[in-house]
Amino acid sequence: MNPAMSNAAYFKYWRACAATGPVFLAAFILCWGVLGYNIPPIPADFTADQLAEHFRTHYNEVRAGMAGAMLFGVLYLPWTLSITKVMEWINPNDNNMMSTLQMWGGGLTVVPLVTSSVFWLTAAYRPDALSPVTLQMLYDQGWLLIDMFYAITTIPMVAIGVGGLNDQRSRPLFPRWACWYSIWAGLSFLFELLMPFFKSGLFARQGWLNFWVEFLVWFLYIVVVTWYVFKAIPRLEQERAALLTQERPARLAAA
Amino acid sequence: MNDLVSIESAARGSRDVADVPGASPSRVPGILTFILADVLVFGLLFVGFMVERLEQVALFNRSSATLDVRLGLLNTLILVTSGLFVVLAVHAARAGRAVATRNWLLASFIVGAGFGVNKLIEYGDKLAHGVSMLTNDFFMFYFVLTGVHFLHFLAGMVVLAVLWFKASREAVDGPLFGWIESGGLYWHMVDLLWIVIFPMLYLLGAQ
Repeated sequence: MNPAMSNAAYFKYWRACAATGPVFLAAFILCWGVLGYNIPPIPADFTADQLAEHFRTHYNEVRAGMAGAMLFGVLYLPWTLSITKVMEWINPNDNNMMSTLQMWGGGLTVVPLVTSSVFWLTAAYRPDALSPVTLQMLYDQGWLLIDMFYAITTIPMVAIGVGGLNDQRSRPLFPRWACWYSIWAGLSFLFELLMPFFKSGLFARQGWLNFWVEFLVWFLYIVVVTWYVFKAIPRLEQERAALLTQERPARLAAA
Repeated sequence: MNDLVSIESAARGSRDVADVPGASPSRVPGILTFILADVLVFGLLFVGFMVERLEQVALFNRSSATLDVRLGLLNTLILVTSGLFVVLAVHAARAGRAVATRNWLLASFIVGAGFGVNKLIEYGDKLAHGVSMLTNDFFMFYFVLTGVHFLHFLAGMVVLAVLWFKASREAVDGPLFGWIESGGLYWHMVDLLWIVIFPMLYLLGAQ
């Protein structure tokens, strides 16, 4: 920590990291969702032969999509860090449990995002050499991983909400509604618990609740949080500038 | 440099940055976001139930008839009564009466606990008869709707207990009041959802 660090130096990279959130979102929807044929997912009640036919027809798009998803999926990490930096200023006198939980949970969210893409990429790598049942297993495994590892994403979402609700500013960095939305969105992922029990209907991986609602809720969370991180940074720059102004004469006097 | 206080340490230690006494606004508008989002998803589930029901009316009626309406009705009365006690707790808190606030919160908790006992009896009976979420589409909705509602109920019970505990250590008409009011709103949402779930599952198709 450098007491002489200027505001420009202190806040360098904050906006760049925050911007990786929307980049991640756009690229993930394009690569993982559109090219990878995951929006919507191939229904869980498809037969192995139907699924094999899909991979044997679209293997190149899926390869490109999953390679892109693995590349851009890691952007969730710097985006998470930008939130952590803002959270550290929410209530400077409190401990940093919430911001740390947010950082670890958000960072580890990269794991299911990237690892599930590997399974789909494996299926698209040699689709003619693999049996339909093997292809089906790989596709199922990818979806079971990305859906069932939701709890690691719930942790940072709840942490942002709880941390933000403790903001004592008259105008909090994260508004109350956004904090409650974040908590609710994280907890709403609990519906994914039902996903392994169903191959059709609302709780299946392609179901309107466990796919359409839950993924839209997550995407909206990314947009909302990014928006308020961008709004928080200039406010924190002002707060820190004011502190620098207060501290400088005190340090000079002490010297 | 050792005798210099770092700007960052000062910032983190300063009370000027974030601690604005009395500046914390009411939490009520915030929790309404949570409640509205939750009610919206439950609303979608209710629509899903009715759509499925239209396609399998006989099955849904037959399955619904196996539920014990008396237990459902009892649970409705329990939640409404518990909700009334929470209203009284909020009124007491607004007036700054800490003892009355705690008593009403405790009464709400104790009455509310009856709902949990009833649900566990009901679940135990269903499972003992081999009825599960996978039995048919009606019971899928039955277990999911009542199960998710039950999780909300458990969270509400924890909230009531925490508020009761905090009300003994903080002024109930101070910053804690916002949390008491928010907890009350949440508990009413649990009531409200049950008031829709009960007729939908237990009364539609009852013999």
